[in-house]
Amino acid sequence: MSAKPTTNDSTPANVDSNPFVGPQDLANFDPEKSLAEPGQYPYTRGIHREMYRKRTWTMRQFAGFGAAEETNKRFKFLLSKGQTGLSTAFDLPTLMGRDSDDPLALGEVGRCGVAVSSLDDMRRLYDGIDLSKVSTSMTINAPAAILLAFYICVAEEQGHTPDQLRGTLQNDILKEFHAQNEYIYPPRPSVKLVIDTIEYGTKHMPMWNTVSISGYHIREAGATAAEELAFTLADGMEYVKLSIERGLNVDDFAPRLSYFFDVHNNFFEEIAKLRAARRIWSNVMKNRFNAKNDRSLICRMHCQTAGVTLTEQQPMNNVVRVAYQALAAVLGGTQSLHTNSMDETLALPTEGSVKLALRTQQVIANETHVTETVDPLGGSYFIEKLTNEMEAKAHAIFDQIDAMGGVLEAIDRGYFRRAIAESALQENKRIESGQQKIVGVTDFVDDEEDHQVDLLKITQKTEDAQVARLKALKTNRDQQQHADALANLKKTAVNDQNVMPALIKAAKADATVGELIETMREVYGSYDGGPEW
Amino acid sequence: MNNHKPIRILLAKIGLDGHDRGVKVLARIFREAGFEVIYTGLWQTSESTMYAAMQEDVDIIGVSLLSAAHMTVVPELAKYRKKLGIESTPILLGGIIPAEDHDAVRKMGVTEIFNPGANTADIVESINNLAKNNTVPPRDTLLDGYANADQAALAKIITQMQAGENLTDWQPPSGHVPAGNATVIGITGAPGVGKSSFIGKLGAELRRRNLKVAVVAVDPSSPITGGALLGDRLRMMTGKPDEGFFIRSVASGEVQGGLGPHCADLVKLLSGFGFDVVFLETVGAGQSDVTIRNAVDHTMLLLMPESGDSIQYSKAGIMEIATHFVLNKCDLDGADKTHAQLLSAVGEDRPIYRTSSVNSEGVPAIADWITSLR
Repeated sequence: MSAKPTTNDSTPANVDSNPFVGPQDLANFDPEKSLAEPGQYPYTRGIHREMYRKRTWTMRQFAGFGAAEETNKRFKFLLSKGQTGLSTAFDLPTLMGRDSDDPLALGEVGRCGVAVSSLDDMRRLYDGIDLSKVSTSMTINAPAAILLAFYICVAEEQGHTPDQLRGTLQNDILKEFHAQNEYIYPPRPSVKLVIDTIEYGTKHMPMWNTVSISGYHIREAGATAAEELAFTLADGMEYVKLSIERGLNVDDFAPRLSYFFDVHNNFFEEIAKLRAARRIWSNVMKNRFNAKNDRSLICRMHCQTAGVTLTEQQPMNNVVRVAYQALAAVLGGTQSLHTNSMDETLALPTEGSVKLALRTQQVIANETHVTETVDPLGGSYFIEKLTNEMEAKAHAIFDQIDAMGGVLEAIDRGYFRRAIAESALQENKRIESGQQKIVGVTDFVDDEEDHQVDLLKITQKTEDAQVARLKALKTNRDQQQHADALANLKKTAVNDQNVMPALIKAAKADATVGELIETMREVYGSYDGGPEW
Repeated sequence: MNNHKPIRILLAKIGLDGHDRGVKVLARIFREAGFEVIYTGLWQTSESTMYAAMQEDVDIIGVSLLSAAHMTVVPELAKYRKKLGIESTPILLGGIIPAEDHDAVRKMGVTEIFNPGANTADIVESINNLAKNNTVPPRDTLLDGYANADQAALAKIITQMQAGENLTDWQPPSGHVPAGNATVIGITGAPGVGKSSFIGKLGAELRRRNLKVAVVAVDPSSPITGGALLGDRLRMMTGKPDEGFFIRSVASGEVQGGLGPHCADLVKLLSGFGFDVVFLETVGAGQSDVTIRNAVDHTMLLLMPESGDSIQYSKAGIMEIATHFVLNKCDLDGADKTHAQLLSAVGEDRPIYRTSSVNSEGVPAIADWITSLR
């Protein structure tokens, strides 16, 4: 077992021997330099001068289940309730690059998201939604380039060119190796695909966010706040480094990188984390990567409340947790927010619980008045001390990663996975020893549990229909065109060229996600996960 | 170690779901509780899980399911558990299982269900209680099974042997004794060099050539609790499970030198069962892994690029006893340089193979050599 990062003390950040924080805790703190004004370097206080006074954050609820038509219906429901962006969840087979009729997909088609195996599925997913009007976020990683190709094709059929499209591809494969495990190829070719999409997006899709560099899954897997912050920013730096090596100008692509953080229960620690993220990123972009454009320096972020904090016991308590976490995200200056639904530990959320989660954000935005002054906690001794500590912890972790030779080398050694698993174990021990309380689980437990919440059911019928439709597609397409397109893709991969044009061509030839993934696997190989313990 | 038998538990994730926080926390908690934990990693099927449970002769099968596929998966688990003759081994289910499905899941063959937030002390206690009910079949039944190529019986005999049961008078009935002339190959090398994945690929290649393969993979035990995380198996389970590819994970216990208790006898047992090739994978502690020489016919040392220093400084010990060298992960930088260093350190008398961590490149040449021995 490798040594635990020394900076990762498991004590929650605001447990201090002193009852309060004062000027003595900020002895060498220079507000001019470390804070400045909102909208000014180093952006600690927010990326815009006016923040929510001018425009509230984007309320973006993640949705996707069943077949394309069912998710399409949910999208239209959310748009009609005032949601301002779409966020697409794909099912596990799609996330793993497997078609709905793959043997390993059995029982999982449409369960945890929508099943998309082909351009035809994508067409039905966004049917009746003008893709030049909405911004669409797609939570997809290993097969991200393929799904982006499908999306470009659907937009083209609607009469829109790629440069008109707004949205975000999660497309962050590095955190899959650290935490979520939805990788397919080994780390180096996997990252090559990400850089392909960054390159394509930079040249053809100026309004598209190419990567949403994600701490969320790292945190949910057990990392501490400081680890989430440091691992995620280290991943971001890796993408920037490799994109520059590809020959891109940093100011051409960096403005389209964005971040995705988790917002957990420790209210002030989370706010400090988001503030520290902005300060660190702007420093790194300016001083390490020599970015000149202000938009390259800002750490734009999406936040989601912490699914891992929700409890199956007394599920209504989750509504309260989500509200506080959402408030922390807003006080931390997020650009967009997903609030979890209270029934998500039990199953996919129902329409009613999704609406309540959205309403939670709307209450914060419209009733609490917290939006009326920018960074209202800025200058608080406590918040500034926590922000400084977060930054220092992150730098100590960057040093460890650098000492191993970089992010990819640290993955080879299992560094991230071990650190995260160890932190998860420590948190579990704090909970079970009574040091960390969970209302309704460790304390204030009800004798008679009331589990009566309505759950969303996905039936096997969805899977059967999806599989039948896919089989028909595979039979009826132009087989010669299809074979040529796959051969072209393989040639592109062998020649180490950007695969995006070949993927778009293959999408139009009705090549499926699974076929495209397997074609590239012949060139890139498989990955077994690296060191486990 | 006298007849002390730690509880063995299999932890499996089935299907494509990658949420492994819970299963990894439990693996660590179980090791601290003194259990031997065999974690089979991600993307397993019900069939591969039950093959693992049978070959590893576990006391408990723990399955983690967070993808809402339990109503589809549990009947499959029960089907293969029955087919492989381990119906009495309890299945514990962890994950997001709605209360309304609990009765149905129990009826399908699950003994206990633990939802998120379950107290780990309760889980450990439940396992301790369930394991008490496990009984070992009579010796004659096991011997008959061994003679009739019953792998479940073989797996149980291995457990008895590991626990220190005296097996000198365990002779299968006359006339049933298989040839027992397996080629036994020791695989050693530092942690992280890719021993298990290499064996997985080589084993698959030998299966394509119709050779029956068995693997004994040793991982270290905690000196404090006696528990162990046995993770080698997950690197080897790449293809469809197969009677001709038997994998057994072994905890080192208090044995020094890279092997576990009675490994030499275990290798003979597998040879006698009819396997053509038996691999013995060491802990990989380094220089001291030299006891392997007494248990095997050939010793293969795995190295990786940029391990030049260890080559320079270790001409004695493991470098000395190795009969074959494999430079693994040759797709990484520095492979040629390390190859040259290796060549100058060991000369040309002993073969040096080169393999890749990405694909099976280089593996067929090694399989050719092994096939030539048969």
